[in-house]
Amino acid sequence: MKELSTSELGRRVLQLIVSLFILLCVTFVIGRVMPADPVGAVVGELADPAAYAAMRARLGLDLPLYQQFFIYLTGLLQGDFGTAILTGNPVSKDLAQAFPATFELATLAVIISTFIGVPLGLAAALFRDSWIDKTARVVALVGHSIPVFWFGIVGLVIFYAGLNWVGGPGRVDVYYEGIVTPRTGLMLVDSLLEGEPEIFWNALSHIILPAIILAYAAMAYITRMTRSFTLEQLNQDYVIAARAKGVGPANTVIGHVLPNIAVQLITVLAISYGNLLEGAVVTEIVFSWPGIGQYMTNALMIGDMNAILAATIIVGFIFMFLNFVADIAYALLDPRTREATQ
Amino acid sequence: MKHFRKGLFVGAAISLLALTASAAVAETPKDQLVIGTSLAQVLSLDPQQATEGKANEIMCNLYDRLVLATPGGKIAPQLAESWAIDDKGITFKLREAAFASGNPVTSKDVVFSLTRLLKMNQAAAANLKRVGYNADNVEKLVTAPDERTVRIDLSGEVTPELLLYRLAMVTTSVVDSVEVEKHVKDNDYGNAWLRTNSAGSGPFTLNRWTPNEIVILDVNKDYVGGEPKMRRVVIRHVPESQVERLMLERGDIDIASALSASDLATFQDKQGFQIQRVPTGGFYVLSMNAGNQYLSHPKVREAIAYGIDYAGIEKTIMGPYGRVRTVPVPENYEYAISSPDWHLDVEKAKSLLAEAGFKDGFSLSLKTIAQTPRIDLATAIQASLAQIGIKVNIQQGNGSEIIAAHRARDFDLLIPQTGAYMPNVLGSMEQFSSNPDNSKEANNAGNFVWRSAWDIPELTKLTAKASLEPDAKKRGELYVEMQKMFVDLKPAVLPLFERYEPIVLNARVKDYVGHPNMTTRLEAVTKAETE
Repeated sequence: MKELSTSELGRRVLQLIVSLFILLCVTFVIGRVMPADPVGAVVGELADPAAYAAMRARLGLDLPLYQQFFIYLTGLLQGDFGTAILTGNPVSKDLAQAFPATFELATLAVIISTFIGVPLGLAAALFRDSWIDKTARVVALVGHSIPVFWFGIVGLVIFYAGLNWVGGPGRVDVYYEGIVTPRTGLMLVDSLLEGEPEIFWNALSHIILPAIILAYAAMAYITRMTRSFTLEQLNQDYVIAARAKGVGPANTVIGHVLPNIAVQLITVLAISYGNLLEGAVVTEIVFSWPGIGQYMTNALMIGDMNAILAATIIVGFIFMFLNFVADIAYALLDPRTREATQ
Repeated sequence: MKHFRKGLFVGAAISLLALTASAAVAETPKDQLVIGTSLAQVLSLDPQQATEGKANEIMCNLYDRLVLATPGGKIAPQLAESWAIDDKGITFKLREAAFASGNPVTSKDVVFSLTRLLKMNQAAAANLKRVGYNADNVEKLVTAPDERTVRIDLSGEVTPELLLYRLAMVTTSVVDSVEVEKHVKDNDYGNAWLRTNSAGSGPFTLNRWTPNEIVILDVNKDYVGGEPKMRRVVIRHVPESQVERLMLERGDIDIASALSASDLATFQDKQGFQIQRVPTGGFYVLSMNAGNQYLSHPKVREAIAYGIDYAGIEKTIMGPYGRVRTVPVPENYEYAISSPDWHLDVEKAKSLLAEAGFKDGFSLSLKTIAQTPRIDLATAIQASLAQIGIKVNIQQGNGSEIIAAHRARDFDLLIPQTGAYMPNVLGSMEQFSSNPDNSKEANNAGNFVWRSAWDIPELTKLTAKASLEPDAKKRGELYVEMQKMFVDLKPAVLPLFERYEPIVLNARVKDYVGHPNMTTRLEAVTKAETE
């Protein structure tokens, strides 16, 4: 069993690397044929051709495409993502700053959506066609069909500008800016580590609305999937047997159905989490959230290739990694998969 | 499990209560100024590199120059306490001042900064290079006879008065040579470091700049002009106009710029807020590619000038952003002539097209940045040119795409915008009236007229003559002549609207005077108690 897992693991890691390489090639080519002009962005609109050419050479853009790609790859293998045009910083430094902001937001969102979405899906399946089911369906439909942008603005109008319940755009109020030294990059964690509960609450008041709005969209998906998984199980013999034995509906679901759909649910949750971690571009823009989505958008605008490539690799990696973890969890939790691989 | 769930609910309820309590504070501190804007275009805070407007607004508070141009357009002393003009140049006497680092400001720093500007040779250097200063002659022309004296010799292509205006630009900011030299790497003149740090003698210092997130300026307590009232200036990146509006209404920001027309309108006559319409001296322009088979005909260009509904566009689209003006000099500038009789006249435009031999009309593309108000302007131009038989296809893009197309002459029509670098005819018009070499080989992509392939040797000569004319009255006459010639040539760079930057301020903010060159200084700004 152990040996098999190792080779399986190796195969999957290799798969991951190949996928990342393909992703890299595609992104590089698309990025280079884009009509954006990073040189112009650096030297300014009025620069003369000599200055323009000098900067082009400095950025290595005068070389043939394959050479540029080769240089990039060599750097990458040494852990060097290159320098971002947008900020002048090493891209790794920028990402270390932007990623935690997205990570914090996405994690909170996925927690909220799981804690609401899964029970709601279970209840909807259990009381099929009842008012709970209908409500859950409407809630899910709305979450799926209304753009996050609209929710963001309306949420701000009601809860921020109107009711004054939550903090506004940005991660903390301006007068708290720069007080907490970033250690993990997660404002909620750093403020507690620093012993600044006031900043913690402020940060929480800022993150809660975008997190709920993101969670809502993810929840719609989680609820729908949980419902359909559960329905499938409810028709199985073991459920009927349990019910015949006199087990109540709630206990049937929690004690019998839930463990059986856990594996599928993990995949759904991993996909949702991956989607959220990609950087919810629109949400980040509406809430002036300095995460990876906004970073990538701005990099795309000026054709800042190093930044785009690095961010794409990170996002791609996370996505593949989560899939990978879900698969492993599958194997660990579901004896059938285990046996099949044997 | 049950206990856990119960605990969770209680915890959530408590959190919600706490949130409600903590969010009730919604007012910026009295000693901090908070500005909401879009920082997306800020790519550098090195004054000898960055030229973008928002970057200018930040840098002009970090650095002082020899002289400054007041919002009213007069030259006033800044680091120079006095200057004497002679036939050959200008001699500046420096005042006693220190950089934020504690190092004294000396003539060596001034020479260092101007040399650095021209040797780095980026877009920032364009305005001095245009009048004959360059990397090769700067060390000869800019000298430091003693520690408190700076001598700038004339290049032969500019008058002392006009040179002073160029020296009032942010690009000539005086940087702390001792600090910058500590950070030079690979002959980069300290650029990599200065991009994200400050080394100036201005009223504020740079605490932090996180691109697309925030800029924090701290007060320079030892500022030579006295300690500013604001302890901190926070400039927050708010890319969404509606969100910015909410933040201003809620009191989380004091000043909002880059608001859309509809969001701006909600503050009209609203108590507790004031709108400032800051003139820029620049224009929204319709650039026509004179290399195009149709647009090379002056009659076609004139037809287009008669094919635009200026009044309608001003009313419905430009609103606070612009005012009709088809001469590239703001109407209130000295020696400005009145606009020619270009207005929407479909019949006249059609007959001009027929005279040029295109009575059946033709198609053109129109490139524009997808941004308010330019995108709406493009749509209006499309509709109005359709009436005279010119079919326009709009192609939108982001800033760098459109600028790249403009630089490469890869367009038929394009809507750029300009700004004035000094508040006089030359400052706003020069970029419309000078194109020393129109050949494709010259590849002078930094020149606004070259990009439109508009060959104007006589107007270029006249512009050079005006910049060299020492006598103010004669120069004024040349200014008038330039504008008339520009109109007569049926411009391929047609100014449409004079450009304004509307900003909304919380009424608590006092003494904020928006500067026409995007160099608003903040040292005098104060904030009243809550009203």
